[in-house]
Amino acid sequence: MRKGFLGMTAGTLAVGTILFLKPAPAAGQDTPPGPPREGGGRGGRGAGFGRGRSPLPPAGPFKRTADGKPDLSGYWNAANNGGAVFEVQKHPVARPGYPPGPGAIVDPPDGLIPYTPEYAKRAKANFDEHLADEPELHCYESGLPNQMYRQFGFQILQPAGYLVMNWEFMHAVRIIPTDNRPHGLPASTRLFEGDSVGRWEGDTLVVDTTNLNDRTWLDSAGNVHSDQMHVVERFTPVDERTINYEATMDDPKAYTRPWTVKFPLSRNMQPNYEIMEFACIEGNQDVHHYIEETGGKAKAVIP
Amino acid sequence: MTFRLILSTIPAAVAAAALAVMPAPASAQSSKGQQYKAPRTPDGQADLQGIWEVRNSPDKDLEKAKGLIVEPKNGKIPYLPAALARKTSNEKNSAAEDPLNKCYMPGVPRINLLSHPFQIFQTPTQISIAYEYIHNFRNVYLKRDKHLDGIDFWQGDSLGHWEGDTLVVDVANFNDQTWFDKAGAYHSDQLKVVERYTRTGPDTLQYEATITDPKVFSAPWKISITLDRDTKPNARILEYECQYLADEAAKKKGN
Repeated sequence: MRKGFLGMTAGTLAVGTILFLKPAPAAGQDTPPGPPREGGGRGGRGAGFGRGRSPLPPAGPFKRTADGKPDLSGYWNAANNGGAVFEVQKHPVARPGYPPGPGAIVDPPDGLIPYTPEYAKRAKANFDEHLADEPELHCYESGLPNQMYRQFGFQILQPAGYLVMNWEFMHAVRIIPTDNRPHGLPASTRLFEGDSVGRWEGDTLVVDTTNLNDRTWLDSAGNVHSDQMHVVERFTPVDERTINYEATMDDPKAYTRPWTVKFPLSRNMQPNYEIMEFACIEGNQDVHHYIEETGGKAKAVIP
Repeated sequence: MTFRLILSTIPAAVAAAALAVMPAPASAQSSKGQQYKAPRTPDGQADLQGIWEVRNSPDKDLEKAKGLIVEPKNGKIPYLPAALARKTSNEKNSAAEDPLNKCYMPGVPRINLLSHPFQIFQTPTQISIAYEYIHNFRNVYLKRDKHLDGIDFWQGDSLGHWEGDTLVVDVANFNDQTWFDKAGAYHSDQLKVVERYTRTGPDTLQYEATITDPKVFSAPWKISITLDRDTKPNARILEYECQYLADEAAKKKGN
């Protein structure tokens, strides 16, 4: 059987190794260590991950769709997220698997999640004892705001009345109607990505999300939320290559006050770029088919 | 062929006008013989957008679903003699070996035939299908005309073009890991699927798929089935997070 693409190599790295696939948060660094990635001869994965490349010409203004709204479509990633994918709050101390970073929290000003005492305990217990329970290691979707800074980038499609976001990671999907419709799901329906409804305020798309479940983490360090979390995001295009992204989380069970993350989304400038398939569950369960030691073709990279 | 050349060399507005005045070719009709004029997307494609689902999922056993297999006429999948033994063994061991029971990606056309809806979105360069089942998505590329070299996919690599009002999707580069149904119908990595999506009314879409695999089947075979639109106001697809459900079930069993 021919080797699949990133999905297979990504999927074959099971518990404890998914950290290798996270991009270095600062621009200009080499791509992170990890298995060699097969590419279809289309330039590999450099954009947004800090591979050295010649500077781009100055960005022009963003395009608009036929109805006059900003056109957010294309391929994007959140390369400069302050290490949020490792830990969303400020993390000045290096930990095994990830370097220190400012995180992505702009409010409160100390950059820390304003936990209630009970949820601070849960987050600490996750970090100290349950990192193997990270939902991504089980191939679950990442929820909010975590999905927005997941590695490998995402695609925005903007057909009339919708913003559709497709991630390579876990082939996660968010479907956001942009016609200011009300939320319609019963409170008992809980989704990994929640129920999102959007409306335009000038050139900013405001997205309101409810009906989230409590099965996702905010990052890989075990930071958590309850099923009462409500998220308001704001997507504001700056120019043709940048969208400013902001998300405010309020959750009376888990946090003493709302808190806000903010970071830019950068356009992937690789020509002919496409999202590849991500075979997470398949790779996790059938590792033995793929690695040399048990008859496959790939070298085992699980440390 | 000429149809595709026209679209690639004429500016979009002119191409859309050309589409409007072209008589609908016979292939724009579904095999049910209905001729319905679908509304257009802003760039002139027949609008297939919406949330769609089969009325009765044939996933249990494609050969037992009345009227599903339209070629060959006897409604049976034309296995090569050597392939029949494997199908029989698959069927016997279905509970343990059906890839869907492991929450794996279902492949094509199986993912369109499940008891879970999917939503079609159209842009000038891509048609993206978002599935409730494990939130999978398939991107159908309208502007790429070659399959990707040396890469295989669970869901295949999909290239789309229009024949009148029918979206024709050429799917290739499959791995050999998926089944077509719970009864163990299977394929090799030589599988190719050609899908046809045709609106037959405001709330119906006819889905056809021709399956070719010279390693497993003695001839191509074809399915045809009606998809219904979800017409509830503010309808949306939900999530079937298979692995999460399996983990929760295992926890309950005390694993």
